[in-house]
Amino acid sequence: MSAARRRPGWARLGILVAALALLATACGDKPLDTMDPAGPEAQSIKDLIVPIFIIAGIVFVLVQGAVIALWWKFRVDEPEDPADERPGTYADDEFPDQVHGNLNLEIAWTIIPTVLLAVISVFTLITLFDLDGVDAADDDLRITVVGQQWWWEFQYHLDGNTDTPPDFVTANEMVIPVDQQVPLLITSRDVIHSFWIPRLNGKQDAVPGSEFEWVVEASEIGDFAGQCTEFCGLSHGYMRMFTNAVEPAEFEAWAAEQVQSAPLLDEADEGFEGQQVFLANCASCHIITGVTSHVDADGDNLADVDTWDVYDGANKIVDPAILTAGVAPNLTHLMSRNTYAGSFFDLYDDDGNVNRAELEEWVFNAPEQKPNNPENRQGMTSFVGVLTAEQLDDVVDYLETLE
Amino acid sequence: MAITEEPPLELTTGSAPAIADRPLGVLTRPQGSVGWRSWLFTVDHKRIGIMYGAAALVFFVIGGIEALFIRLQLAQPNGTVLGADLYNQVFTMHGVTMIFLVAMPLGAAFANYLIPIQIGARDVAFPRLNAFSFWCFLGGAIFINTSWVLGGAPDGGWFAYAPNTGVLFSPTNGLDFFAIGLQITGIASLVSAINLIVTVVNLRAPGMTWFKMPVFTWMMLVVQVLLLFAIPVITVALVLLIFDRLYDANFFNVAEGADPLLWEHLFWIFGHPEVYILILPAFGVISEIIPVFSRKPIFGYPFMVFSGIAIGFMGWGVWAHHMFASGIGPISVAAFSISTMFIAVPTGVKILNWLATMYGGRLRFTTPMLFAVGVVSMFTIGGLSGVTHAVSPADTQQTDTYYIVAHFHYVIFGGVILGLFGGMYFWWPKVFGHMLNEKWGKLNFWTMLIGFNLTFGPMHLLGLQGMSRRIQTYSSGQGFDFWNLVSTIGSFVIALSVLIFVMNIWLSKRNAPNLPPPGPDPWDGRSLEWSTASPTPEHNFDYVPDIESLDDFWHRKWGEDENGRIVRLASAAEIAQDGSRTGVHLPSPSYWPIVAATGLPLIGYGLIFNLWLSALGGAVLLGAIYGWIMEPADDPDAGHGHGDEHDDEHGDDGPDDEAPAAETEEVAPVG
Ligand code: HEA
Ligand code: HEA
Ligand code: HEC
Ligand code: CUA
Ligand SMILES: [Cu+2]
Repeated sequence: MSAARRRPGWARLGILVAALALLATACGDKPLDTMDPAGPEAQSIKDLIVPIFIIAGIVFVLVQGAVIALWWKFRVDEPEDPADERPGTYADDEFPDQVHGNLNLEIAWTIIPTVLLAVISVFTLITLFDLDGVDAADDDLRITVVGQQWWWEFQYHLDGNTDTPPDFVTANEMVIPVDQQVPLLITSRDVIHSFWIPRLNGKQDAVPGSEFEWVVEASEIGDFAGQCTEFCGLSHGYMRMFTNAVEPAEFEAWAAEQVQSAPLLDEADEGFEGQQVFLANCASCHIITGVTSHVDADGDNLADVDTWDVYDGANKIVDPAILTAGVAPNLTHLMSRNTYAGSFFDLYDDDGNVNRAELEEWVFNAPEQKPNNPENRQGMTSFVGVLTAEQLDDVVDYLETLE
Repeated sequence: MAITEEPPLELTTGSAPAIADRPLGVLTRPQGSVGWRSWLFTVDHKRIGIMYGAAALVFFVIGGIEALFIRLQLAQPNGTVLGADLYNQVFTMHGVTMIFLVAMPLGAAFANYLIPIQIGARDVAFPRLNAFSFWCFLGGAIFINTSWVLGGAPDGGWFAYAPNTGVLFSPTNGLDFFAIGLQITGIASLVSAINLIVTVVNLRAPGMTWFKMPVFTWMMLVVQVLLLFAIPVITVALVLLIFDRLYDANFFNVAEGADPLLWEHLFWIFGHPEVYILILPAFGVISEIIPVFSRKPIFGYPFMVFSGIAIGFMGWGVWAHHMFASGIGPISVAAFSISTMFIAVPTGVKILNWLATMYGGRLRFTTPMLFAVGVVSMFTIGGLSGVTHAVSPADTQQTDTYYIVAHFHYVIFGGVILGLFGGMYFWWPKVFGHMLNEKWGKLNFWTMLIGFNLTFGPMHLLGLQGMSRRIQTYSSGQGFDFWNLVSTIGSFVIALSVLIFVMNIWLSKRNAPNLPPPGPDPWDGRSLEWSTASPTPEHNFDYVPDIESLDDFWHRKWGEDENGRIVRLASAAEIAQDGSRTGVHLPSPSYWPIVAATGLPLIGYGLIFNLWLSALGGAVLLGAIYGWIMEPADDPDAGHGHGDEHDDEHGDDGPDDEAPAAETEEVAPVG
């Protein structure tokens, strides 16, 4: 009787396991798939975990098989009882052998898992130390990755020297050359975030006050999606990013563009009105290199100092609001990116045109598009009742000039 | 020894000084053993256990409803059921509720009810402290939940990583309720742990040496030791957090040079022992159920005991496996990775010993047995995914995804919840004097098993496909749509199962008068609690039993004949104590535990809103302490002058407590 009831659950579980095996190896539209590596680090991790999944699967089959076999072989039927309210009773002579234990068996099933785990340990340690460390030369590209509620900033050091100001700063999308290991220094401006591009490598937490070394390397050209995975407050779920792996020549060209400053426009230039609106409303948070000049209480330009220099006693920022909102995405080359606002929104539609309506909604009322808490100096503020329709139009026109 | 001097024991009953009976004359103790007041002021470990269990089930429904909201929000991409802020509050409260207000107190319910009657004691060592523990837990639990209507629930996740929990990033009061409330429930856990440890160490029946104790009691002892060492660490962390939030201290303020990983270390030094605090009670429960329904003794009893101790102790050395991605360095990661894996060895010993107990047995799949075997089966899945987490390079892919959500729901729901549900079905006749209906029980089990696997099985896939945890929304095009919907459907199957259980409780109660009473020993049990009446009499045992062997009660029912065949020596009805003895000295009820426990939440509200409330709470607490101390040892009309901590148990009753042993002397007991 109970056997009939058992089967649906077990059958479903079996289907799940089979589905797991299938999907773990299938390619599909799964941009964050940890089992579809596109770089050597992610490949190493997969090579380590697949055999361990197989071992776990075998142990699982053995244990579940034992449970089912014991049920099948040693079950006894319920006694006939009309009320069915006194289950579990046995006849007085219904006793199996009263085995209390077996030392040899205990030793065996203590040693066997120990040996198995020792083997797994060896491979774990090999992979762990293999993944640790940086192969890149000292003068190779390095990127400082900064997490901030709720988006990512990337500071490029083209010559690999992270002790000097970055060559340029961008947001949400990190462009790297393919087939080159790119060392990262990962940190945070506010709370703990976690940097993760699952097809390239595992996670590294971004901890404020620390700079942790990590690497990304792509073996193929493409856009690789990422997600912040450490809970960091209100909009944790909207904190995404991309890594775009391109040909080295293309990377060089892109970088050459990124180091360019934006022009400071004259009254006669197209977009002048928009730039004025931007300077009046946006420059307190955003930087456009060549246009804005963001300074702290001591007159140091924030774009020119290392992230955590602002926390030295002698150079401490006066207004804590700046801690969370003062350093906003660098917009100098906004239009060279594909996504914005934590990579949650597409900048271009499928035809390659700017999603202007969405961008206007964002600029006009960012907290409506993505949970922000500007009253607590977290995220971008709302300009409802501040910008007129014309000003909004002007400033978005201006944004579109930031190639 | 000079360090503490003790006089020789005076066992004669001298006349107590008259002053002892009424030191002040006004602080008397409550009377009566029926009605709501008898529950409010009780110090009886059995009633306290029942109240823990009832409260835990209520919070289980609350936490379950929170889970259903989570699943509804995630059923579709771009869900709109909950906004981001509310979602963060809901998942935080779901986790806090399930861990601290459901799983831990449900374990405490079993511990409080069963430990004294499994070791042959009349009550716990400190009955009034026991009542205080319960009311402290309930006060803290209600305190945390009132945050919903007093400015918003905590929204930092159950492990509340700094610096996100600082005022700058979390300005509402939710996290104040979290930090203060968990300190209040922590006091309850700590006091209860001390009480239960002393009970097991000091109040075991004559002859019950350590290795004659049931496995359940052993596992609960390990749990209490874990609590004793773990709660102070989380207390320090919460104190620092409250100092930061209320008094602008800078322990977690990075701008002032703090290291945010300090919180992570403190939390997980508590948090990893916490997970074994959750699972070991369930392991103890199924160690009692499986032998009964296999009709065999537990296989490898010493190994079962030592593996539980090993799990409890090894749990102290692996906390940083929750921090593999946090930058602690490869040497530390290597050390914690390896040490974590090897906890699978004692856990595997348990799994295999349960299977070996079943091997060759007469397996009767009653509802408790179904739940027990379900634990063996489902917990193994969660344990194995735990081992894959211990592979630290792989964990950097799996951590903070739904793969880990699958891991811990398989070990917690598949281990703790299934195990304790089985325990409820097993001991229900002992506690309430009637059985839960078997048909409804089996329906409860199967719907729960199906729903559970439907809900959490898909999460393994979602995690490996990259779905992060704690995200309120996901987009179509990420590949998460189908399995999230399956998971949501599964969660409602679980809700159906819980409704079936609630209905079973009600129907069984209603039908009980029409059925024959279960008697003291409905399952032909092995341990001591089956040797007294059902429901358990207030004084537990008419006579304190004299213990000669492991499973002593079973050996008094069954012996071996000259051919080695098992023969009945006596029926349970013949040798079980019927609970009819009167005049047994017991601790009297007391007003002060609940009064003292009332002061703590008042202090908490005062810290958050107005310090005058704290002063009021402090006055209540201090007054309760004085009342407690000055209270006469017993009901002044009871005619006893003894202390209420049972120190005179053996001195007073002496040999009269011995159950007659003559009947068993003629036949050698098995084993
Ligand atoms: C009841 C609670 C419970 C239990 C018992 C366990 C048991 C185990 N847990 Fe789990 N764990 C949690 C609750 C629990 N855990 C929770 C709540 C979290 C997350 C908290 C959060 O982040 O919110 C967590 C997180 C967690 C992590 C952190 C992941 C991360 O955040 O990155 C790790 C990593 O090592 C881990 C490992 C283990 C291991 C190795 C075991 C072992 O004890 C399991 C051992 C059992 C078996 C292995 C199965 C039986 C054994 C055999 C059949 C023998 C043969 C087996 C082998 C040879 C492998 N757990
Ligand atoms: C004991 C521990 C426990 C238990 C039992 C559960 C049970 C469940 N959990 Fe939970 N869970 C946690 C502990 C637990 N969880 C923890 C610690 C976290 C992490 C939190 C954090 O990240 O901070 C978490 C997180 C968590 C998440 C991840 C959220 C996120 O990261 O965004 C999800 C997602 O689906 C989830 C789902 C569920 C579901 C569907 C159940 C279901 O099994 C629940 C089923 C129960 C019911 C459905 C009962 C309801 C009953 C009724 C409605 C009947 C009504 C009856 C009457 C009124 C009489 N849990
Ligand atoms: C309070 C500070 C603040 C002000 C003022 C502000 N922003 Fe922002 N802005 C931010 C923050 C913070 C973000 C990142 C939000 C996120 O991703 O969560 C952002 C993001 C953006 C983005 C998306 C950039 C990207 O790559 O993700 C654009 C475009 C933008 N802001 C435009 C503007 C314009 C135009 C104005 C003025 C009208 C403005 N902002 C004013 C703080 C500000
Ligand atoms: Cu940043 Cu989560
Ligand atoms: Cu742990």
